[in-house]
Amino acid sequence: MAQLELNEVSKIYRVGDNVIPALDRVSLSIAKGDFISVVGHSGSGKTTLVSIVGGILRPSSGQILFDGEDICALGDVELSSYRNERIGFMFQFASLLPMLTARENVMLAALFGQERSREEQQRADHLLDLVGIGDRVEAYPGELSGGQQRRVAIARALMNNPGLILADEPTGDLDEETEAEIMKLLGRINREQKVTMILITHNAALARTADRMLRMKNGRLVGVTERE
Amino acid sequence: MQITFLALALKNLKRKAFRTTVLVFAIGLFVALLVFAVSFTISITSTIDRVSKRLGADIIAVPVGARTEAQEYLLESRNTSFYMPAALLDEVQRIKGVRAVTHQTYVTSIDGLCCDVIPTMIVAYDPATDFIIKPWLNRAIGRQLGPGEAIAGSGTAENLGLGLLGIEATLFNNRFTIVGELEATGTGLDNALFMTEESLQEIIASGLSPLSKDQISVIFIRLDDGLDPDYMGRVIEGQVYQVDVVTRSSMGVRWLTTLADINKIFLVTVSLSSLLTIFLVWSIFTAIANERVREIGIMRAIGARQSHVVKLFFFEAGMLGAGGSLLGVLGGTYLSAQLAASFALMNSISAGLELGQQLAIGLLGLLVGGGVCLAGALLPVNRIKRVEPLLAIKDA
Repeated sequence: MAQLELNEVSKIYRVGDNVIPALDRVSLSIAKGDFISVVGHSGSGKTTLVSIVGGILRPSSGQILFDGEDICALGDVELSSYRNERIGFMFQFASLLPMLTARENVMLAALFGQERSREEQQRADHLLDLVGIGDRVEAYPGELSGGQQRRVAIARALMNNPGLILADEPTGDLDEETEAEIMKLLGRINREQKVTMILITHNAALARTADRMLRMKNGRLVGVTERE
Repeated sequence: MQITFLALALKNLKRKAFRTTVLVFAIGLFVALLVFAVSFTISITSTIDRVSKRLGADIIAVPVGARTEAQEYLLESRNTSFYMPAALLDEVQRIKGVRAVTHQTYVTSIDGLCCDVIPTMIVAYDPATDFIIKPWLNRAIGRQLGPGEAIAGSGTAENLGLGLLGIEATLFNNRFTIVGELEATGTGLDNALFMTEESLQEIIASGLSPLSKDQISVIFIRLDDGLDPDYMGRVIEGQVYQVDVVTRSSMGVRWLTTLADINKIFLVTVSLSSLLTIFLVWSIFTAIANERVREIGIMRAIGARQSHVVKLFFFEAGMLGAGGSLLGVLGGTYLSAQLAASFALMNSISAGLELGQQLAIGLLGLLVGGGVCLAGALLPVNRIKRVEPLLAIKDA
């Protein structure tokens, strides 16, 4: 069974008399552990697709099944739990809360969980170590480089053992070397932790490193390329 | 270790320390005003109430036209004298509904060779019928006063510098042994020297006092159970023309009328101040919500529910309210103690608050201050919790 299934998912924005289809009847199936990249020009629907899958945007129509459960039917509380327990988000900007340390930013994901654990700090420290900044757990985001902040964001995304990580251009504003390091880290996590990964990127070379590359245009899925 | 909403809220408040300080200070000012106004009012009303209860009588009958003087003495400790014939006691006693009567006679000692104490109110009571002084006497010395003995009210003892039992004093050329000190009552009787009627007759016999035989100052009246003192007061005045009555409900009416006017001003001031504080909190929390819309979007994206967002903001509002209220309670209490002393109304009566009342007013200040803060934050928080996570992230 596929971990994630999208069936004819659409998202329409109405601005006055104008109807803007941000996503137009997208259907796809993703297995657990897959590494998927999504490419396309600005406005092609990439972020809309990932946002709907991540439960931070409601579709206008269609069905989304995650582990067999229709997330479109979930209420706000259940959808929040879905995001907290099954999804890990990485945004295209520095998304850490500035008044929290690296450790506290990672532990933030646990704050909103239904069940708390006494080992939250240990897990956060372990994840920060895993992503390579175990020596900066007490640092604030302002004291970390862009790459280090992304690493903290990855650790936060992994905090609640999600089944799927959604990364929306996580390396967009980083230099090439740091970008490569982050991508390598994401690839390692995908392989070792068997976490499904959906990555939005403008970088074609990075996109080709994924198991499957989806091409979006004008809200539609126009192409799928398997890695050779 | 776990991260908590409380810790998160505290960190958020610390981010903008100046803004937090301003808001805490503003709430503190409002609560200080509230605490001051309530303390002022309750201080006076509870003193008046306390006096009337401690006297232990349902009705006090005084000579016609002496109602004000009587209250001035009982509430303000102003030395004064007024007299009526002792025969009125029997007339009052005969009225249906009157269960018990006793009387007191007031005379002020004078500066002069006849008296070696500073001018002090002497209060003579009838041990046979008394129900006012006896309970205090029992607690102080465990017995009744004998001839040639006096006991000082707590204020008198302090004024006369009495520290030891057995001090002798000369009053109108008569020697008296001051055998002890009564506990404070919060009434004008605290500033009196008490003696029996028999001892007073010796003073009258000396011819140096303004008093003549068979004169009394006040009749204290206890009614049968269930009778309305205000109604019985009218009955007594109707049947005994030479007396005016003071009931519990009319005790201190002059002060209460002044207080009512002051309270109107307080009410308007406190109401306007609360509206201003709510508006200030609303505007600051609106700014906070706008500043942190992306953060809220991020938190929602990683699993925060709308209720988590509300909880976080209400913790912040609650802490601001608590901090400001605490500051305001302390400030208002201090103002009550310091500023109120300059009010003539507070100076003339020995107004004060008991510890329980102070704690209750403090609690009121905390609740109102916290409530105002939460009320101000309500609309902005309600708005921000509803923003879709993606829109929140993008719009910022």
